[in-house]
This record gives sequence, structure tokens and C-alpha cells, in this order.
Amino acid sequence: MRCWLFHSWQILVVLSLTGIALNKAQAQQIPTQPHQTLTVAAYPAVDEIVKSALPLWNHLHPDVEVKVVSRQFTDHHTAMTTALSTSFYLPDVMALEVGYVGRFAQGGGLEDLSLEPYGIKSFQSHYVTYAFQQATNHKGAVVAAPSDIGPGTLLYRTDLLVKSGVSEADLTQSWDSYVAAGVKIKAATGAYLMAHARDMKDIVIRTGIKPGDGLYFDSQSNVLVTSPRFVRAFELARRVRQQKLDAKVLAWSNEWSEGFKRGTIATQMSGAWLSGHMNNWLAPSTRGLWRASQLPEHSFAAFGGTFFAIPKGVPAAHKQLAWQFIQLMTLNREVQLGAFKAQDAFPALIETYDDPFFEQPIEFLGEQKARVVWREAATHITAIAVHKQDSFADEVINTELDKVLDRGKDITIALADAQRLLKQRAYR
Amino acid sequence: MAIQSNRLAPWAAYCVVGIGALIMLAPFYFMFVFATHSRTEIFSLPPPMFFGYDFLANLNILTERLPFWRNLGWSLYVAIASTALTLVFCSMGGYAFAMFEFRYKNALFGLVMATMLLPSFMNMIPTFMIMDVLGWIDQPRALYIPGAASAFGIFLMRQFVSSSIPKDLIEAARMDGCGEFGIYLRIVLPLLKPALGTLGLITFIASWNNFIGPLIVMRSPEMYTLPLALRSLQSPVNTEWGALMTGSAIATLPLVVLFILSSRQLISGLTTGAVK
Amino acid sequence: MKIPSSLRMSPEMAPYVLLSPFVLLFLVFGVFPLLFSLYLAFQSWEPTSGLEAMKFVGLDNFAFALQDDWFWKSLKNTGWLAIVSGVPQHLVAIPLAYFIHSSFQVLRNVVVGAYFMPYITSTVAIAILFSSLFSTDYGLINVGLQMMSYVPVLGWLMPQNPVDWLNDPEHIKPAISMIVFWRYVGFNVVLYLAALQTIPKDIYEAATMDGAGRLQQFWFITLPNLKPMIFFGVTLSVIGGLQLFEEPFILTGGRGGSDQAGMTTAIYLYRMAFDFNDFGAASAMSWLLFIVVALLTWVTNCLFRPRGTSV
Repeated sequence: MRCWLFHSWQILVVLSLTGIALNKAQAQQIPTQPHQTLTVAAYPAVDEIVKSALPLWNHLHPDVEVKVVSRQFTDHHTAMTTALSTSFYLPDVMALEVGYVGRFAQGGGLEDLSLEPYGIKSFQSHYVTYAFQQATNHKGAVVAAPSDIGPGTLLYRTDLLVKSGVSEADLTQSWDSYVAAGVKIKAATGAYLMAHARDMKDIVIRTGIKPGDGLYFDSQSNVLVTSPRFVRAFELARRVRQQKLDAKVLAWSNEWSEGFKRGTIATQMSGAWLSGHMNNWLAPSTRGLWRASQLPEHSFAAFGGTFFAIPKGVPAAHKQLAWQFIQLMTLNREVQLGAFKAQDAFPALIETYDDPFFEQPIEFLGEQKARVVWREAATHITAIAVHKQDSFADEVINTELDKVLDRGKDITIALADAQRLLKQRAYR
Repeated sequence: MAIQSNRLAPWAAYCVVGIGALIMLAPFYFMFVFATHSRTEIFSLPPPMFFGYDFLANLNILTERLPFWRNLGWSLYVAIASTALTLVFCSMGGYAFAMFEFRYKNALFGLVMATMLLPSFMNMIPTFMIMDVLGWIDQPRALYIPGAASAFGIFLMRQFVSSSIPKDLIEAARMDGCGEFGIYLRIVLPLLKPALGTLGLITFIASWNNFIGPLIVMRSPEMYTLPLALRSLQSPVNTEWGALMTGSAIATLPLVVLFILSSRQLISGLTTGAVK
Repeated sequence: MKIPSSLRMSPEMAPYVLLSPFVLLFLVFGVFPLLFSLYLAFQSWEPTSGLEAMKFVGLDNFAFALQDDWFWKSLKNTGWLAIVSGVPQHLVAIPLAYFIHSSFQVLRNVVVGAYFMPYITSTVAIAILFSSLFSTDYGLINVGLQMMSYVPVLGWLMPQNPVDWLNDPEHIKPAISMIVFWRYVGFNVVLYLAALQTIPKDIYEAATMDGAGRLQQFWFITLPNLKPMIFFGVTLSVIGGLQLFEEPFILTGGRGGSDQAGMTTAIYLYRMAFDFNDFGAASAMSWLLFIVVALLTWVTNCLFRPRGTSV
């Protein structure tokens, strides 16, 4: 009996040791390591962009190896929050999406790049204005460097428009004409104008923001959701829903991609990068049928954007290297254009805008020179101040909009409810 | 011995129970079927009912997107370590509670039992912070060490020891000159085998399936256990459903096999604990 | 294997030595986190500023939680889910256990095994599978419902259009309840089966001889004897239901669903801490929820505890 017990312990120990050994073996694929390692934390597709810049980096800094740690989008940002909270496992450089830059900027865990020895302000004119402002917190500290931006664009199915006798001008002249065009498209082709009325709401609330104000809160944390732009956005969205012009499908769902594949969604407002996704996997069969234009009623908005930041807790020697790396990623024309060509990452570096690549026709968009359109948009986007509770406010407004659209809730009451909810948290 | 039945009852019973069993097992069937289909096939009308040919393709995508075999390795490692530690600590503790009298015994046992009633979410945030401060974030020890102090485990052990091991046996061994630890090793442990088996199974299964724990403390994909790895595949954009199903099937299979081999032991062990 | 006498434990020392590893781990990872969570509930902490940034704010977090719409909404969701997924489990498990107990001899282990299997599988894998089964246009459940709508009598009850289980606030809760029900019904069957086996057969025989029918036997003999087990099972269901996290988490992609209809308090806690970075409020909420759980457990105790027995 004792023998059995003893042997079973032995077996367990051996199994565990084997398990550990296997894990370690799989990890140690790196042969010899150079002098220093710089850790860069990123998420798809930024990880690809970083990796494609590595040959150039290794050329410039042959003794510094760059290790890229990639996680899924939300997990990455959670991991960054965790790392900043106790300074364990901090990467030397972290990639941040615009939605999170604001939150982290208020926190004070990121290096102020406007100070010495970085001096990013001397490069300020090289970056697209609004992106630079997005990385600046209310104390004037610049916590990150913009790498790519997402200029908003309207992608539309030109074949469906032609069939309904609608021109691009009709579509983009004003929001009202956009909706009217949608009615015609529905009648002639049966296709929906947009995927979800929420898409339209997202753009309209971004128009007419006073300088210094945020999307949902102003600089004093007062709640702005009862202002006219919200009311107009909700009213337009309701009109769209009432006239059955939206397909009620949420972005990135199976039904959404099916909608593109089958031509039941006629237009989509999104970042310029969406055309790349459509070409690659969303709806490659619809190649040539789409065109890009500016957003209706001369609206300009940004969808996404990547930044690079240096955490404060990083050792000083690495901070210099990290800054070199960030300069390479954001101020090097070759790297920026490379990312643009490979991953559809629209450059934040203004110098790249004279490159002939912009004038090249895009096959997916029927040989349209859409990048020129997007370049134009990029210069008109205005910065919107960020607030810690922005993502919460996003959810609240979307919930209230759903109630207005699905249950017929009154707009004034819905916005008042949202106002109340946001007021509770504005100062946390 | 069956209770005396009237005419219709047995067939009604068979039917109801049978249909119920099928409903219980159907999702498993579909999990394995879907694992062999590609994403577009899974989401088509009609949905696939029989096995397909895409298992290897899905496996490919799975290993591309995730260090899947590493995640499997971690799940195994953490489950084994967790089981081993829990068995050792809880058997020692249960024996101590059952066979000895000492100060604060009842208070301590009461405290331990009270924590069994505590909801698991109470520990979510402080555990994260403690692990953060200890520097155990992203390390497997953050998963198997805390769990070793299992209130349920010590309860089960105590019940078993006090009901199956006579005090005189221990006394006799003591008088024969056997040291305390020797008594534990040579007399108590062998007699505890059935309970150890049950607790071992329960702990292994719980550790394998544990999701919240790794969610809180793991941060790098190379260190994820299986449930966390599967969920990280579930991105809002472009979910690879075929690969996800394959991963789920692989995560479920070892437990199903383990369960089929040990169901009687597991169920009877659980119920003796429950029927106080 | 003789241990030198200097290292040998005396019978008085033995329990302390044997218990020490357990107690150490228990105090560090079982008790201390609780105390720390209580401490944290009175602080305000923004994690990305580092540990030094904690500030004492008194009852502020509790006050915030109590007037937070979403907190109350999550409590309602949690309560609804606990009841709707918990009650059917027991209503179905008791007759099922009775059937299995009375009619299945040879196949009993197989049948019980089949019912118990959902309980041992990973919640994540199951929830992922059910997300695909619940898909509006292509999911098996909607396909099944559509087929059933052709059946003459039942068809009238079936929904006419495909049900949007995952995105419609009205339907996400029933979807979650179905998964939880599926998962735990077998566990309860096992519990009740074990309890049924403790009822002596002679009582039934005597009743049959007295002319009592099957139904009467069930009502007057079986059920009263099951009371202790019902108490135990319901307590477990209440505690478990109020802690629901994994199934709704996976089904709603970690966010709680549209209109937060699938957001249980445990999920809201998690989101407060890891999405909205407000650890103080999250800790305060966990204590508030604990009070609710404790209250409800006490209520269950009063309602169901068999008279004359002590726990």
C-alpha cells in the first residue's frame, strides 16, 4: 500500500517536471541575445507594423534587440493597466489606442514626452494636429506620440447608387439629403442605407464641438449630452429607423459582414482602414463596387488611431532607447509609409502626405484615388478632449439610443436620463 | 428493488429521462461536430449535423493565433500542482481537525466553514492586488497556491476521517511507538484513499475549468490556461469560430474521458459529503 | 523511515504542525484578501498612477454605489437570473431523480453520468458553444424553434420570427438561464438521487398496502423526506445564482449585453475594476453584494430549514 502511494507521488512529480520542462523548452527558441532588449507591447495589427520596422531598427541599433509582446486588443490594454498599477512587467514602449490614451493620460503613469530629454514639442509640426492634441492632457503634458490615425470616410456602393438614381453629392450634401437618398436606395434596390442608426449618431455628435470641450464632458467635467448636437443626432437616427433605413446589425458581427457580402448595406461610415478589411476578408467579392467620399455635411471625424508611449517606471537607460524607437516608428517616413502600404495604417506624419502613393488608385474602390480624399479629411479633423469616463458615456448613450429606437422612448427623457447617469460619475 | 409500478409509469419514466439525457448530451455532440467544420459552414443554414473535414485546418488556425499547446501544458501543470498541494494540505488539516483536540479548534473550523459560504467575487479584486504586490501576476503559482487552502477539501477530509478511522487505531499506533507524522503517512493516508480520490478529481476538474482566477492574474498569452486562451480567441472582430470550437472540444475532451472513467467514484464521493 | 527523536512531533504539537500549511495559506489568501477588500472599499484608487495613489475617501464609494443606476440594475438582473435559472433546476430535478430512482437499475450509472456531464465541463467552452447555437439567423436553437412551429399544437406557442437571443435585451436573460439550467440540473439530480436512496423502502411498501397511489406516495412520503436535501440544494442554488459570472460574461463578450441586460453584479464588479478602473467602488460593491447574499441565505434558511434539525 505504501509502495503505491509513494509511486503515485513520484509519477505526479515527474509529470509536473515534464510539464515545466516542455513549457520552458518551447519558450527558449532564442539563441544568443545581444546586449540589450527593448520590450514593445502591442496588439494586432500594430504588432505587424512594429515587426516590419525591425529590420531598419536593427540596422540602426544592431546591439539592441526588440521583443514584441502582442495580446488581443482588450487584453492588451488591461495588461497595460495592470503593469502601470504596480510597475511590474512594464514594457519599455507601449502601443495605445486612442480610446485608452485619454484614460492613461489622466493617470500620470506615462512619461511626459514634451520634457527633456525627449522634447517632442520640437516635432509637433510634423504630426497631424488633432492627433498630437489627443495625446496632450489637460496639464499640457504630451504622454504619447501618434503613429497612425483613422480619418473618417463614407464608403458607399456605387452600383446601388446608380441603380437608385442617387449621386454622391446627394449622399453627402447634408444629413437630411443623406437620409432622403437612403429612402430612394431602399425603394429602388431594397438595400439598407446603413448598418445601424448608431453609426450616424456617432458622427453627428462629433460635429460642432466647442474647442476645449470633450465629446461627452467639458473641461470642468460638466455633462454635455443634452446639447443640440446630441438631440440632432438622436432625431436623425430615429428618422432613419422609422423609415427602416438601417439593417440593425452591429459592427463586426456575422450579420454585418454578411450584409457587405450580399450587398444589403449600401453605405458605411468608418475609418479609412475599413476598405482594407473589406478587401482582405469582409467582402472581397465586392471589389470595385465601392467608393469613398467625405462624410456628409462636411463632417470630419476620426475612427481609431494608435499611439506609442513610455511608462514612467521604465529604467532610465531603456527610456532613451524607447524614445529612439518611438521616433523611428512615428517620425521616419519610410516606416510610416511602409505601415500605410502593408496595414492600411494612415500616417500621422505629415511629411508623408506628398508621397506619390497617395495618388495611386485603389483597386478595391474601383481604381479611385481615395487616399487623396482621406488626406484631405485628416487635415480638417479637430481634436476632441478626452475624459476618464468617456467609454462609460459611450455605453450609456448607446443604451439610451437603443431605447429611443427600439422602444420609442422620448428623446428628451432619454438624454436627460443619460445626463443623470453621467453626472453621478463625472468626478470619479 | 423497484417500487411497485402501474401500467404506464415505466415507459413514461424511460421517455422523460431519456429525452432529458439526450438534451444534456446534445451540446457535446455539436461541439465536436462544429470542431470539424469551418467558420462559414458553422454559420450556414442548415447548420452542420455530422462531422466535416476541417478539423486539421481549424487546428492550424488555432495554433497560429495562440500558443495553444503551451496553454494546454499550463492547464495541465496548474491542475496537477493544484491537486497535489490540495490533497496534501487538506488531508493533513482534515486529520488534525478530526482526531485532535486543541485550542481554538472549533473557532478555526467555524471560520473556515464560513468562508465556504463567501461568494467567489469577494476575492476577485483583493486577490489581484495581492498578486500584483507579490509580483505573482502572470505566474502559474498565483493559480495553484491559493487554491490549496480549500475549505471544501478540508471539510470533506474531516468528514471522512472522523467517520472511517477509529480513534483506537491511532491510539494503538501511538502506543506502539509510531511517531505522529508516521501515523499520518502510514495509517491515515492509506485509509483516506477513496476520499483522496474524490477530492483529487474534484480539484483537478475545478482547476482545469477555472476561468475567473486566470482572468484576474494572467496577462500574457503564453501563460494563459485553456479557458482564458479560448476566450481571447473570441475577439469582437473576426472571430475564428471553427478554431474556437476545435479549441473548446480539445479543452473538454480530457475531462470527459476522466469523467467516464471515474464517474461512480466522483458522484458517490460528492454525495456522501452532501448527505450530512 | 524512522524520524530522529529530536524532530518527532509530540501528540500535543501534532495538530498545529499538521494544520500549519493550510492555515498559513488560508490566512494569506483566504482571510487577508477579505480584510484588504474592506480596506480598499474606503479608498479611491486610480491604478495607472501606481500604488501610492490611494486616497482615503470614507463612505464615498458606498454612497456612490447605492445611488448608481447600473448597480441596482445589475442587482435586479442577478436576482432575476438566480430565480429563473434556479427554480426550474429543482422543479425538474426532483421528478427526474424520482424517475431514475424507481425505474432505472442497470442503466442508472450511465443515465446519471449523462446528466452530470454538463457540470464538469468548462463554462467557457460551453458558453462559446451556446453563443453559436443562439445565433439569430444560423443558430440551431432558432432552427429548432422554427421546426417546432410547424407542429400543430405547440406551434402556436412558438415565436414566428427568429429570436435575437444575444443582442435583444429581452432575450439575453432567458438565454443565460437556459445555459445555467442545463449545467446544474444534473448536479441536483445527483443530490436528490442520493437523498432518495436514504428513504427506507418499507415505508413505500406499507403505503402501497394501505392503498396509496403513486402520486400520493410521492407527495406525502418522498417530498417531506427530501426536505433537508431541498434545503441544501436551494441554498447552493441561491448562493451560486447570485454569483453568476462566467456564462453571462462569455455570452455578452465581457460587457453585459445591450442595455446591460445580461450584466450580473459580479460582472459589473469586474468591469468597475478592470474596465472603468475604479477599484474603490468595485470593492464597496462587492461588500454590498455580499450583504445581499448573506441576507438571502438567511431567508432561505428560515423558509426551508427542516423544523427541529440544526445545521
